[in-house]
Amino acid sequence: MRESLSAIGVSRAYHGVRVVDSVSLDLKPGAITALLGGSGAGKSTLLRLFAGLEAVDEGEIRLGDRVLSSMTQTLAPDKRRIGLIFQDFALFPHLTAAQNVAFGLKPLGKEAAKVEAAAWLARLGLTSRADAYPHELSGGEQQRVAIARALAPKPAAILMDEPFSGLDPALRSSVRDEALEAVRAAGIPALLVTHDPVEALEAADHVAILKGGKLQQEGPAAEVYLHPASADVAAALGPVNRLRAGEVPAGLAEVPAGSELVVRTEGILLDAASPVKAKVLASQVTGAMNRLVLEAGGRRLVAMVPRCDAPQAGSETGIRLDPALSFIFPSA
Amino acid sequence: MTRPAGTEAARLADLPLPARVRAFPPRLNLRPGDGVAALAGVIIAVPVVSVLLAAVILGGGEAWEHIRDTLMVPYLGGTLGTLALAAFFMLVFAVPAAWLVTMHDFPGRPVFEWLLILPLAAPGYVLAYAWADLMGVGGPLQSLLREMTGWSARDYWFPSMRSMPGLAFVLASGLYPYVYLTARAAFVSQSICALEAARSLGASPLRSFRSVVLPAARPAIAAGLALALMEVAADYGAAEYLGVPTLTFGIVRAWKSFGEPAAAARLAVILLMLVIGLVLAERWSRGRAGSQQSSTRWRTVSRTKLGGVWGWLAALFCLTGFAIGFLLPVSRLVWRALEAREYVAPVGEALKNTLVLAGSGAAFAFVLALVIALAGRSRGPVAAFARLTASSAYAIPGAVLALGALVVLGGLGLTLTGIVPVVALAWVYASRFTAAGAEPMVAALARAPASLGYAAESLGASPLRRAKEVDLPIALSGASAGALILFVESLKELPATLMLRPFNWDTLAVRANAYATDERLAAAALPSLLITLAGLVPVILLSWRLSHSRPGEHTHA
Repeated sequence: MRESLSAIGVSRAYHGVRVVDSVSLDLKPGAITALLGGSGAGKSTLLRLFAGLEAVDEGEIRLGDRVLSSMTQTLAPDKRRIGLIFQDFALFPHLTAAQNVAFGLKPLGKEAAKVEAAAWLARLGLTSRADAYPHELSGGEQQRVAIARALAPKPAAILMDEPFSGLDPALRSSVRDEALEAVRAAGIPALLVTHDPVEALEAADHVAILKGGKLQQEGPAAEVYLHPASADVAAALGPVNRLRAGEVPAGLAEVPAGSELVVRTEGILLDAASPVKAKVLASQVTGAMNRLVLEAGGRRLVAMVPRCDAPQAGSETGIRLDPALSFIFPSA
Repeated sequence: MTRPAGTEAARLADLPLPARVRAFPPRLNLRPGDGVAALAGVIIAVPVVSVLLAAVILGGGEAWEHIRDTLMVPYLGGTLGTLALAAFFMLVFAVPAAWLVTMHDFPGRPVFEWLLILPLAAPGYVLAYAWADLMGVGGPLQSLLREMTGWSARDYWFPSMRSMPGLAFVLASGLYPYVYLTARAAFVSQSICALEAARSLGASPLRSFRSVVLPAARPAIAAGLALALMEVAADYGAAEYLGVPTLTFGIVRAWKSFGEPAAAARLAVILLMLVIGLVLAERWSRGRAGSQQSSTRWRTVSRTKLGGVWGWLAALFCLTGFAIGFLLPVSRLVWRALEAREYVAPVGEALKNTLVLAGSGAAFAFVLALVIALAGRSRGPVAAFARLTASSAYAIPGAVLALGALVVLGGLGLTLTGIVPVVALAWVYASRFTAAGAEPMVAALARAPASLGYAAESLGASPLRRAKEVDLPIALSGASAGALILFVESLKELPATLMLRPFNWDTLAVRANAYATDERLAAAALPSLLITLAGLVPVILLSWRLSHSRPGEHTHA
């Protein structure tokens, strides 16, 4: 019953430009896969290919061993049983919260649909808002209605297109945790399209990184974070310092010519005993961590260090690298 | 009959954009411009108010009893029947046409997108002349039928234009663009995401349209329909020519034939109640449209390609609407005008009279529109009153306003001689059309950020200096469009002109009407075509504006 939703070598071009280029990606049941990339990376297009909102030019979309899209045929979106959650939630403005949730439950019959919709609203803590229209709901409530609506028809998979980016930043992570709990509980393949690396790492089990329509790397979130396949992948998951071989301050690391050193900002450690000295140009509080702007060997570096250890601006400090967070790649 | 081609429709086309809500300030805070704005509001309001007073104060008299007992049922039935049937015709054609044009691709689609607006150019009476001729016993359609079948005129039934359904058909064929425009705007701007969400929840394309797209667009469609129906209710020329009794027809007749302003005023009040119902329906549905936009994210409209036969059927559907509303009647009139060959009738004099009357009406309305647009910049209650009066008067049939002006003149002991009728007619034109002229100016002012005014004030400019040196030049950038629309509207207006014009002053509209009622269609064709030609100008302006503001096609989230 619970099957993977897979893209196998799919491509899609607009006006001759390949927006999605030979992407193979397996979405496993019960896991949330974050699809991460900048704007124009092809994230939304890949989601639309999964959903059947667009036809593939090459390759196949499959659910288990059933072919949903191929070069010759595209199963209509209403025949796929794949739930969608949009950035603006796309709630039907003329229907109440309960009617929105019941929309996809038509096959159950009117009464059963009502009961089922009420049960979903209760699950997401929205019972008191059942008769409210979308414009009367807060952003977080709209979000939960959208999730209930997408999950209520028991879809075979669920696709989310930047579903949290419209929310108030203060609420975002709590709303997200609640929402994704319901998605996980459904035990179906789930795709979360996002441009926020923090969200991808915090919320997803797997991450897949897309750039220029090509899949760069895919795997469990921690593994991709700690073992990026390229400098681009490393940069996609969080801020990094990138130094060419000649630019690396003496004694910091051995970088062969023609290669590049990529260090995460929290991979620069303060160590008074280190022979490599850096001047602190700025030191700012950013929450739990301090952001330091350092100068070493004529190069600027950015480091995130625990606040209690943070040196003052103008002082000098010894630095070294955390090997687990420093990577060497051939120069691009 | 008149048709506010340019502005109201353009405003409605912008309808799904977030409605600007204008709240009354809590305190009465008078400003320097308020006195002028109040005066403008009063000038606009007097004709309709005097009709209401006349209906109450002046007794009905014998004529009223006669009308009430023998003509009320036909008048009311004619108006209501025409309204209902015209609404049906317009919805059945305009909503599917708008859906085809926005969401699908088929041969000729980009052309049909604006061709379907053109029928707004020809006033209802012009369409009535042409269609009665096309469908008449001697017309080309019946002749063709007889030629093909060998029947004689008595052997078959043929739909008659000179009937209530005929009137509804003719008016609907010229007014459906209102519904088309608002429906189209609603379809373009609604979130495609909602449609995709419906599909992902297992709804077929048809169910998605029926249960998601149509309900979301319903307020906009209702608003466009209400507007078109106001025009249907205001029609005099087509009803008179086709011999269908309606309330507006009754008002003009009560005045002209019975010489009974009191009876006419009572009929006018009944018509006003109908119109107010339509205005309220339009306001109500528009208010809901504003609150119902829950989706702000637009996706490039990706049109579904209609291949093969379906594509050609869609093109044929759109072509039919365009042909009925514009192509066939206009080419028939051109044919009749050319066929006559000889110099059928002089229009020079009528053209001059039209320029004088429509010109003075437009000039008067222009000043009022400018006052109202500028006053609207300071959001006081007086400015709101002036704007509300103007937009309400816009919905009131010209015959009713003319009647109001006649009542006022009668009360002052003035007769329709000398300069009096010219002033009175300019006043009625201004009363009816000021809102149309103010609209482009208000739009021009709205495009300029409010901070511009604040900047002027922070630089020490007095409110008067601010109005003169900042707001006025900005409003004037929308003024040429406003002036043009005012002129064309005044020139198309028939019943008010008939009732108030100076003795022996025929305008193009009056001439066309007189020739047509004399069954001299060849002579009526030329003035009719000139009116239509003038009417094309604001319509083309409107379609240009439409093609340069398409939310769904430029904004991509």
